[in-house]
Amino acid sequence: MNRVLTALLVVFCGSSVAIAADIRGGETKAKEVCQACHGLDGNSQTPDYPKLGGQQPDYLAKALRDYKSGQRKNPIMAGFAGSLSDKDIENVAAYYASQPSVLVVKH
Amino acid sequence: MTTPKIALAVILVAAPVLVSAQGTPAAPAQQAAASGQTATTSNGDSAAGARKTQMCAGCHGIDGWRTAYPEVYHVPKIGGQHPAYIVRALQEYKAGERSHPSMRAIAASLSDQDMADLAAYYGSASPQTASK
Repeated sequence: MNRVLTALLVVFCGSSVAIAADIRGGETKAKEVCQACHGLDGNSQTPDYPKLGGQQPDYLAKALRDYKSGQRKNPIMAGFAGSLSDKDIENVAAYYASQPSVLVVKH
Repeated sequence: MTTPKIALAVILVAAPVLVSAQGTPAAPAQQAAASGQTATTSNGDSAAGARKTQMCAGCHGIDGWRTAYPEVYHVPKIGGQHPAYIVRALQEYKAGERSHPSMRAIAASLSDQDMADLAAYYGSASPQTASK
C-alpha cells in the first residue's frame, strides 16, 4: 500500500514539475532569440511575422517543436527553433502566452 | 584643353537623357511589381470572408477548442492575426509544408481568393463579434 502511495506521489510530483514552465526564463530566451521579429510582447508589427502574444501555449510549443524537427518547413524558424531545448520551448511558449493579447477567438 | 571641356559638355547634356532612358522603361515594371505585391495581401474582402467560414468556425470559432488528431493541443487564435500570415499559413498547408491533416484538406479546397477573403475577415478582429 505504501509503495503504491509512494509511486502515485512520485508520478504526481514528477508530472507537475514537467508541466510547470518558467515564464521568466522564457522571457530571457525570448529577448535573445524571438524579440527581433516577433517583439518582446509578441505583438509583431511586421505582417509576415505572426502575433504570438496571448496565443495558446501548447500551440506555440507544438509549432516550435515542428520547426525544430523539420515537420514544419521554414528556413528562418528552423534555425531559431533548432537552438532551443525542449525546456526552452515550453518556457518561451508560456512567456508569450502570458503576454497581453490582441488575438481573439472570432465567432 | 578643349577636349576635356567638350567631353564634359557631352556628359552634362547626355546624362539626363541616359538617366531618363534608363528610368522610363523601369518605372512601369516597378509599379506593376509593387501593385502585384499589394494585391496579394490586400485584395481580400472581409464581408466575403465572413460567408466562407463554415470550415473554420467549428474549431477556430470555439473558445478553448483543442484539436485531437494527431496531437492534442489548443487550436490557435486567429482573430486579429496579420492577414498576410494567415494567407501564408493556408498556402503552406495546401503545399504540404505544414502537416496538420484537417488543415491540409481544408486549405487544398480553398482558392487564392478564398484565402485572401478569410484572412481579411479573421485579420480584422471586431470587439462586437470576438471574445478572448
